[in-house]
Formats: sequence, structure tokens, C-alpha cells
Amino acid sequence: MTSILDEPLPPLVSALERPRWSCALGGALAAVGALPRTIPVMHAGPGCASNFTWMQNGSGGLATGGYCSGLAMPGSNLQDSEVVFGGHERLGEELANAIKIMDGDLYFVLTGCVPEVIGDDVDAVVAEYANDGKPVVFASTAGFKGNSYFGYEQVLKTLFKSVVEKGAPKQNDLVNVWGVPPTQDVFWRGNLQGVARLLQLLGFRANYFFGSGADLDLIKKSAGARLNIVLSDLYGIEAAELFKELHGVDFISTPLPFGAAATEKFLRTVGAALKVSGEAVEKIIDAEGRRHYEYLEGLLEVFNDMEAQRYAIVIGDANYAFATADFLAEDLGFLPDLIAVTDDLTAEKREILLTKRSARVAGRYGEKSQVVFIADGAHLTEAVDDTWRAESWKKYHPAKRPAIVVGSSLDRGLAAALGAAHLTVAFPVSNRAVLNRGYTGYDGGLTLAEDVISSFIAAR
Amino acid sequence: MSKEIKQIAIYGKGGIGKSTTSSNISAALAKLGYKVMQVGCDPKSDSTNTLRGGTYIPTVLDTLRAKGKVTADEIIFTGAGGVYCVEAGGPAPGVGCAGRGIITAVEQLKQLRVFENLDIDIVLYDVLGDVVCGGFAVPIREGIAKHVFTVTSSDFMAIYAANNLFAGIKKYSSTGGALLGGIIANSINAPYSRAIVDDFAARTQTQIVEYVPRSVTVTQAELQGKTVIEAAPDSAQAQVYLELAEKIAKHTDSKTPNPMSVEELHQWAGSWAEKLLKIETGEVAPKDGI
Ligand SMILES: Nc1ncnc2c1ncn2[C@@H]1O[C@H](COP(=O)(O)OP(=O)(O)OP(=O)(O)O)[C@@H](O)[C@H]1O
Ligand SMILES: [Mg+2]
Repeated sequence: MTSILDEPLPPLVSALERPRWSCALGGALAAVGALPRTIPVMHAGPGCASNFTWMQNGSGGLATGGYCSGLAMPGSNLQDSEVVFGGHERLGEELANAIKIMDGDLYFVLTGCVPEVIGDDVDAVVAEYANDGKPVVFASTAGFKGNSYFGYEQVLKTLFKSVVEKGAPKQNDLVNVWGVPPTQDVFWRGNLQGVARLLQLLGFRANYFFGSGADLDLIKKSAGARLNIVLSDLYGIEAAELFKELHGVDFISTPLPFGAAATEKFLRTVGAALKVSGEAVEKIIDAEGRRHYEYLEGLLEVFNDMEAQRYAIVIGDANYAFATADFLAEDLGFLPDLIAVTDDLTAEKREILLTKRSARVAGRYGEKSQVVFIADGAHLTEAVDDTWRAESWKKYHPAKRPAIVVGSSLDRGLAAALGAAHLTVAFPVSNRAVLNRGYTGYDGGLTLAEDVISSFIAAR
Repeated sequence: MSKEIKQIAIYGKGGIGKSTTSSNISAALAKLGYKVMQVGCDPKSDSTNTLRGGTYIPTVLDTLRAKGKVTADEIIFTGAGGVYCVEAGGPAPGVGCAGRGIITAVEQLKQLRVFENLDIDIVLYDVLGDVVCGGFAVPIREGIAKHVFTVTSSDFMAIYAANNLFAGIKKYSSTGGALLGGIIANSINAPYSRAIVDDFAARTQTQIVEYVPRSVTVTQAELQGKTVIEAAPDSAQAQVYLELAEKIAKHTDSKTPNPMSVEELHQWAGSWAEKLLKIETGEVAPKDGI
């Protein structure tokens, strides 16, 4: 089980404006809320739950649902007295009642800042129930230890350590998929299911842990999977290493496959890793591609007529910034001029992204394409000024219009200032209701194309 | 205009004699005619035991936990000689946050305006030995206590703790925190002990308020659950506490101490080690060595 002393220290953040994430507890709660038949038990001070329910979910495509989440979830609601005397008794009481009243197959304790500052021994409380045969697990998710992505990773690690059973029988047609943090990836449901469909085309069943169609029994047996696929260069990688260490399953990391071009690469990479014959993979690509372009053709006339091939500013996290830019460039022929990655990343992680992604960025999008790392929303406009406005000042070379800003709801002002269209895909997305929409795979590409084109005509 | 209440905090290394000294000062102050309250800021909540016949009183935090709120008469108990006794209380060892407990308890006293309502002259805060977190610094922050007295023996670790405390006082001194009234040298019997604490006071630019000898009278009184003032009012030890109390009652100007750096402190201790060795080997007569 996780001990707070085991965890590596996260990078230090001083202060920043308009961050595009929540805290570790927020990210963890979004993930646990998305687990099948799982009851989150918040061990935290008052305010955290409602903050996540309205702020976080409201910014994540408005969906507050989940098996037990939002304001329905149990919490210890720590007060002054628990701070002074310790919150372990209160947690024990809350847990006992949650098990009695809430109908769940897994009870997932998450800690906020307060109990970790005062040093509550949550492990001991949880172990008491676990030793009693109750399905109770715990992830250490104090907000001061990291942001949403860290919280998501903590939940994965707890699942792999305490829920996934050791030595499950091999299932050769099973692959595990993660790397898409619920809510932080606003389109997580659709994205996971889109990838599951692709794996199905290759002849595999996907265990994707979160959202509709995920299954707790399958999660418990997931150590029998043939391969783990992390749909991210960064999120869930540490957890994948832990999975490998604990259960001996290898992993590969691939970017989120938005649209036809990325999906082809995905199918080839994953097909090879799963030893599907190249011939079979090409056959799938052929058939799916034909169907895909038949649909896309429908927008061809309007695409030409609108001069819809645009310069783009793409703003998103490590998953979205590159997946979206790739799609815009390779599927729609846009020119992603500026790619702003908004995570708060260590130099090491930036390096990983740059080595993995920049070759493509530079090679395909033209020399002007630039990747910047800007966790602070306040500095984003400066970067745009540097690479963009400077250009468009030139009287006879207003070369970079028309344009589109593909980012989050926080970038509305930027788009307006540039006179550009605006599409929200990256957290926070507070102007769209999102249920099963997703951008992965061939069909996801069609959906993203619809969204991009629609953003140009939103005012009609 | 309300009179100024003299608020004093007693700090020092664990087990050095803070509670014993505080209780005797409180009892002596009461005997001198002052209205005194002693506030134990330690989860052990044993600060006021010798003022209350060796018994424990219900603590602010326990009462708060049980009832959700507290009234003055639930947390203030009258002890020997009319000293008002309060124990902040706190969690069991190893759980919760005792520092936060001190903050909460001190806030309660403030909110209830007990000092004003009881017309207190002098408040003594007896604070847990090692100032391990911000909570235990509360009595000397935020303009609660104005004067700090530190209890120390001539033992190096006790002096080390006192020096650390001085660093804490210096840190808060520019923001309205408490200043140092001086050192109460406890358990001073051997001549060299006196010389050591004198030298420490000189080095850190502070003063010794009183030399309190180690005395079996203290032990006897403690075993009866009493202060020396109550159990042996005519003893020489009682006289020492009475004199100390009088000095504290009259004390007005506290100062910012000048703590040594860790390196200086070690050098200083090293030089004393040499001197003591010479005394032991008879190379130097005890008197000349100091
Ligand atoms: N001058 C003295 N002569 C004899 N015994 C003393 C003297 N001062 C203190 N003691 C004894 O030393 C022991 C510890 O004292 P006391 O409880 O007052 O220390 P403290 O600093 O309050 O400790 P803590 O940090 O644990 O609260 C007690 O048994 C007390 O009687
Ligand atoms: Mg004491």
C-alpha cells in the first residue's frame, strides 16, 4: 500500500496564473469516480468535494456523473478537532458507514492536504478493513504533492498494487490501456473507447479501467494481459513501470491517435508489438481508411470554399498539444504555428516530449512551427506576441490569417484578440457538454474535423 | 482604559524544570498579591499539577472536543493561593497536530476574554520543551506574550536549546513578537555551572534573572502535589522563588538576544570542556578555573 514517505518529491512550483489542472486530489477523484462500481472516500477538510464537483467537473465538459461522485461521495470532512487530535478515528467511522450504506465493489480512500500535514496513519486505518476482507484501498493524494496528473498516476499505482491480482491467468487477447486522465482529458470516455475499437480491429480486447464498459473483474485479472499500452508520453508511464515490476507485463507508449494519419501509425506500432502480421494491419488500414475518407469528402467543397486551411495556435497538455497539432497538420493540412504545452514539467520531461515529438513538428509543419512550455496562462499571450503578432503587424504580409486557436476555455480572449476561430478541446472546457464524444481513431478524426470546421461557422 | 496584562512565556529544553519553576513563580506571585493565571501549553497537560494537589484538570481541547464550545468556568480552575490554572491539552502522543492544538487553545482564551474578565495581572505560559513547529511559537508570536524567560541548566544540550530559542525570538523580534526577559538558571549548585551559564548569558547579551539551586525541597513538595511556596513556605528554596517572582513582576524591558551560530556554540562548548578537564585533573583549582 502507498505510504506518503515512499513518494518522490514533485517539482516545485512557485506561483502561476490560470493553471489548466487541479490538485492531486482532484485528478485522483476524477479517476476514482470513473472506476466501475467504486466509492471514493475523501479524507480531507471541507470544501474539496464541492470544489471538484463544480469547478473541476464543470470545466471537464460539465459531466458530474460517475458511479458515485459529485456531492454524493462520502468524506471525513475534517474539522479543527480532527486536526488537533488526529483524523484517523473520523476516517474509520466514515469508512465503516460508507461500506454499510453505499453499494460498491471497491472503496477508494483518497487523502487531501490536511491529514497528510498532521500525519494521519491512513495505511493503518485502511489495513484494518482490508485485513477484514473488505475491498478498501488508499492512494496518497495531498494537493501539495502534485497536480491532477500526479493524482491520476497515484490512483493507477494503487490499482496496480492493491487491486490487480498477482499471477492472474494469461489472456492472450487482452491488452490494458491507460494514459488518458479522466476529466483532465475532457474527452476521456470517447478517447478510451475509440482506442478500444481500434484494438478490436486488431483482434484484441481492451481493459481500459475507466468509464462505461470498464469492468472491475477484468481490472483484477489484468495482470494476465499481453501488453500494456500507455496513450501518452508522460501520464501513466511511472505506473506502467510499476505494473511491469509487479506483474511482469511490458508496455509501449504511443501518442493519442487523433484521426486517420495518427491512427495508421498507431495500428502499425501496436500491431507490431502484438505480433499481428503486417499484411493484416495494412488490410485494416485500407478498409477503414476508405470508409473514413468517404465521409471526410463530404466537407471537401466547403473546406475549399472557406479557405479552411488555416494557421493554428494549439494549446494543451502534453497529450493534447501534440495529438491535436498532428491532426491539424496531417489530416487537415493546417499549419500549427505555435504549440503551447501547458503542463508544469521538469526539464527532463520536456526533453522527453521534445525528442519524441519535435522531429515531426519541425519536419512537417514548416520552419516557423514552435513548441513552447508555458504552465502560466498569464505568459501565454507573450509567447503569442513573440511568434504571431509580430508577423501580422506587417502591412503587406498579414500572412497568418485566417486562423484558429485550438485550446481551452481560458483561451477565448486570446482567440478574440487575434480575430481567430476558437475551439475548446483541452481542460478546462466549460462551454461544451461532453458525454461520449472522442477524437481517437478514424471516427474520432471525423468528429474532430466536424468540430474544427464548425468553429468557423459558429456565429452563423 | 484597561490595565496592561503582563504576559510571560517560559520556554526551555524538555525536563529542565519549566513547569516546576512556573508553578512556583505563579504561587509566589499570588502570595505577593498579584492575580495570576498559569496556562500549560503542552499536550502532557501536567504544567499546573503542583498547583492543584498533584491532580490533572480538564483541558481546553478535551472540553472543546466533547462539547463543541467552551465557557470560562469549564476550563479555568483555581489552584493553591488562588492561582488560576488552565491546560491547553492536545492529542495523544504520535497522532494529530499538537501545534495546531496550542493555536486553538490560545485562540479560545482570547475569544473568551478571560484575562480581562478575571482582572488578571500576570499570565504565565508554560510551553512544551522543544519548539518543533509553528504552533509552539504562537505564545511568542502575534503579540500574546511580551516577555520570554528561558529555563536552563549548565548542561550543553539545555544551553543548545536555549540558544535555539534565542534564534526564534530574534526571528520574530522585528514583527512584534516577544523579546527575551532573561535566563532562569535552574539546578545550579556547582560553582562551574554558574560560571557556564554566566558566560553563555554574556555571549548572547542577555542576563541571568535568578540562580535556582537544585534542592530536595522541590522533590519533597512535588511528591505532596504542592509547590515549594505552599509546602515549605519558610524554606530557603521558597525564598529564591519569591525573589524570582518579584523580579519578574517588576520586569519591564525585554531585549532581542544575540544567539550564537552553531559553529560558535560548538567552539564555545569546546573551550568549556577543556576548562572542566583541567579542574577535574586538579591542574587548576575550581576557583581559578572559572
Ligand atoms: N530546582 C530543582 N530542584 C530539584 N528538582 C527539580 C528542580 N527543578 C526541577 N526539578 C525536577 O525535575 C523534574 C522535571 O521538572 P519539570 O516537570 O518542571 O520540567 P519541564 O521542563 O516542565 O519538563 P517538560 O519539558 O517535560 O514539560 C521534576 O521532577 C522536578 O521536580
Ligand atoms: Mg512541563
